[in-house]
Amino acid sequence: MKRTAVYPFTGIVGQEAMKLSLILNVINPALGGVLIKGEKGTAKSTAVRALAELLPAMNIVTGCRFHCNPYDTNNLCDECAEKFRAEGVLPVTTAKMRVVELPVSATEDRVVGTLDIEHAIKHGEKKFEPGILALANRNILYVDEINLLDDHVVDVLLDAAAMGVNTVEREGVSYSHPARFVLVGTMNPEEGDIRPQLLDRFGLSVVVTGEHEPNLRVEVIKRRLAYELDADKFIQQFQSEQDALAVKITAAQKLLPEVIISDKLLAVVAKIAIELGVDGHRADITVIKTALTVAAYNGRKEVEVSDLKQAAKLVLPHRMRRRPFEEGELDWQKVESFIDEAL
Amino acid sequence: MLNYPIYPLPAVVGHEDCKQALLIALVNRKAGGLLIGGRKGTAKSVLARSIQDFLCERKFITLPLNVTEDMLFGSIDIEYAVSMGERRFSPGLLARATDNILYIDEANLLRPELLTAVLDSNSAGFNQVERDGISFRHDVRTTVLATMNPDEGTLPGHILDRFGMYVDMQSLDEESERILIMKRVLEYGRDGHAFRKKFTEEIDELQNKISRAQSLLPSVELSDAMLMLAATMCTAAYCAGHRAEIYLLEAAKAIAALAGRSYVLPKDVEEAAIYVLPHRMRKPPEPEQGEEEQDENEESQDNETEENDEEQNDAEENLPPPPPQLEQDDNEDCKDDDEEDESDEDDEQEEIPPQNNQLAPEEQIFDIDRNFKLPKMLIDMGKDQKPRRGSGKRSVTRTDLKQGRYVRAELLVSEVTDLAFDATIRAAAPYQRMREANGCALNIKKEDLRQKVREKRIGNTFLFAVDASGSMGARERMRAVKGAIFYMLQEAYQKRDRVGMLAFRRKQAEVLLPISRSVDLAQKCLAKLPTGGKTPLADGLALSLQILLQQTKYDAELEPILILVTDGRANATQEGEKDPVESAVKIAEKINKAGITSVVIDTEADFIKLGVAKKIAKAMGANYFSLQKLSRDNLIHIVKNMGV
Repeated sequence: MKRTAVYPFTGIVGQEAMKLSLILNVINPALGGVLIKGEKGTAKSTAVRALAELLPAMNIVTGCRFHCNPYDTNNLCDECAEKFRAEGVLPVTTAKMRVVELPVSATEDRVVGTLDIEHAIKHGEKKFEPGILALANRNILYVDEINLLDDHVVDVLLDAAAMGVNTVEREGVSYSHPARFVLVGTMNPEEGDIRPQLLDRFGLSVVVTGEHEPNLRVEVIKRRLAYELDADKFIQQFQSEQDALAVKITAAQKLLPEVIISDKLLAVVAKIAIELGVDGHRADITVIKTALTVAAYNGRKEVEVSDLKQAAKLVLPHRMRRRPFEEGELDWQKVESFIDEAL
Repeated sequence: MLNYPIYPLPAVVGHEDCKQALLIALVNRKAGGLLIGGRKGTAKSVLARSIQDFLCERKFITLPLNVTEDMLFGSIDIEYAVSMGERRFSPGLLARATDNILYIDEANLLRPELLTAVLDSNSAGFNQVERDGISFRHDVRTTVLATMNPDEGTLPGHILDRFGMYVDMQSLDEESERILIMKRVLEYGRDGHAFRKKFTEEIDELQNKISRAQSLLPSVELSDAMLMLAATMCTAAYCAGHRAEIYLLEAAKAIAALAGRSYVLPKDVEEAAIYVLPHRMRKPPEPEQGEEEQDENEESQDNETEENDEEQNDAEENLPPPPPQLEQDDNEDCKDDDEEDESDEDDEQEEIPPQNNQLAPEEQIFDIDRNFKLPKMLIDMGKDQKPRRGSGKRSVTRTDLKQGRYVRAELLVSEVTDLAFDATIRAAAPYQRMREANGCALNIKKEDLRQKVREKRIGNTFLFAVDASGSMGARERMRAVKGAIFYMLQEAYQKRDRVGMLAFRRKQAEVLLPISRSVDLAQKCLAKLPTGGKTPLADGLALSLQILLQQTKYDAELEPILILVTDGRANATQEGEKDPVESAVKIAEKINKAGITSVVIDTEADFIKLGVAKKIAKAMGANYFSLQKLSRDNLIHIVKNMGV
């Protein structure tokens, strides 16, 4: 079967914040995903699906249902751990990081996994059948219209996201496996908001709006038409840009562990968090992690003020609304001048 | 198995009270386990999971939110049944958790009946299983460790009471602490194992402390004076039942053991009270007094408790009561006397935006009185067995879609639509040795088939019809009304209800918000709602009826509830009608006939009461409440399907 063509990531006009937030999450999956808010027709889904093409290859254990990392022996599923104990080494292969979709209509058993019925009937034995969370391990979990997701599915999702482990105790099977994923959600704020608890799990958030510049709007239409006319040719046109971005991402991944941040900037972040009165400590920690990743993406070994500002702009806005109903608008200028003053 | 480096307990900055409570729970199971409450990102789960370093042979069993009953309580051993043709008990989580630690993250999101069952069988000490043809009883002795975020709704009192200890976690607001936290988390993220090495000594030290305390515990003695002290404290805190004393004394014993003593001192009991009493303290029974004095009365009682035992009061303030900020603010702001209280309100009044030019001259916008206290809403649905669809948390209902939570399996009634495979296999397993082979290990017959029973909590649909006429603006009444509605919206958020809002004033009624799940938007509409003009009550009711009928046509599964907030001073007529009250009553009767559940909140507070709202309520078959009384009652008891 011929693979369906995917609109190239670099071919998306504008929407720089959204593109950056997605790239940052690919470089550093520990950032905690991104929530993309925006009206319909703002290239939200296109961007996420296009991201898959850019994703780097990763090492996985051959034949593992959870695509365990053979070199991260602390984070193996039961089967890989068993094999590692017995043989001391795990068979390695590479695969591309994937975008796994969680449809809004998904049931709890499909999400967390359940009893393998076929195996039970054929062999009279219990066996675990992995669900979407297993597929999502080390990949990107994409939930379109996340605000419409059923409550109890959100609960199990939060449960797994918090632990990095999916613990299943249902329908006769008791099983747990690693479930570390980059959560990418989209929502249209007009259709109702999501719970602050789920909101807080997203590392970054961006608001996308349609382009207002007539020239850009024309460019959007032109590209779309060109893509529909001849997708292959269109993709070809962006190939070199795609390749360049992929190289940049891989380089940033390598650089990330070496990036440092000064105590002075740490203090600034702590001051902002206290000034804004955010809940808990996730905001501070995520700002720092994001700033480190932005610096790596820019090829720097030390975080600069501009990296920090960029990070704060992606991390703070959705954390301003701490309680249900609280008016939570982030006064960005205030934060920016605050950063400048503190330095 | 997963061997992820645990974030070490000594590396958690601050939160000494929570750490101590965790140690108590580890040392003495009889202290009744621990519930950690706190907003998001305050290291609740990090701390709870950090105790995995100090288990001493015990296991850390996680109870996930996706748990099904068979896995929790235990069931038939399928594999054994297939191969041996006999029924044997296969233990569930409760059995596995015995003599171990049972960890429940976000316990308030777990199905409440499961949580109650877990806590009950733990305090009873056994679990009796009667299912899949198995009758089995086993001991349950576990330490329950749970976390919850009160923003998502607190646990009901009777469940809270079953936890021995409660600790509230706040985020730390010292700059140096926050920097330290960031540094540690970053370092841990880089290399968890190297990070842990730095804390090896402290971890070992704590481990020794716990082991010593565990061996010392059986010989710790309690003098009669301590028993007396515990009893006095529990009486002063108006604790119900006698669980409090037991937990208090057991926790005190653990504290003494941790301090290396074999006898309990008064300070141990006092320290134990910090963990054991906050979630089970009650308000003293209210003496009969005038309505107006009620608030001050409560406050002076607060003060008394404060004098008695400062720590207790601290603890009480730490426990976020359901709607958290509402009551806490009260406690803090108006501790001393009512004068301060009044000046507070004056401040707030000044914040009311001055009359806007865009508004008609007689209109004004009142802000929301966020300190308005309203009792919990209780909706009595009766047994609702009609299958429904929808999503939310308020009412439990069966659902025929394959979407709700799978709660149990039942025998087939007619056709299979949603086969419960696990239950079917359990039913078939014991007979396999008698049935002929068909190439599979299991030969399933029709009589084995089981159907899934799914349950879903559907939210209710509330339509708020708000009287925004000039008379409502008198004497700040609108602020209280908005406060009341705000409170209900907050509840609606936690229960995932759907809400709509319409207002009637001047000549007509208008829809402010069509029925939607966005409780947020409703709140915004509420804040912006201006007051002024006449009262077209009949028109308001007519529009409500129209919206609700449309809604039920569009989605027959929903049973909406109309909440009418008015002072009943109807004085604007519809065309062709003469008496505004008469025409309102007529439409109210129609609403009653349509079988719509309704509530009337009467805001009439004038000296001479006309009682129109009451009349409307009667015609509508509505539950009637007066706003004045609401702040005193404990419960808004909305009975659904009154007419039926």
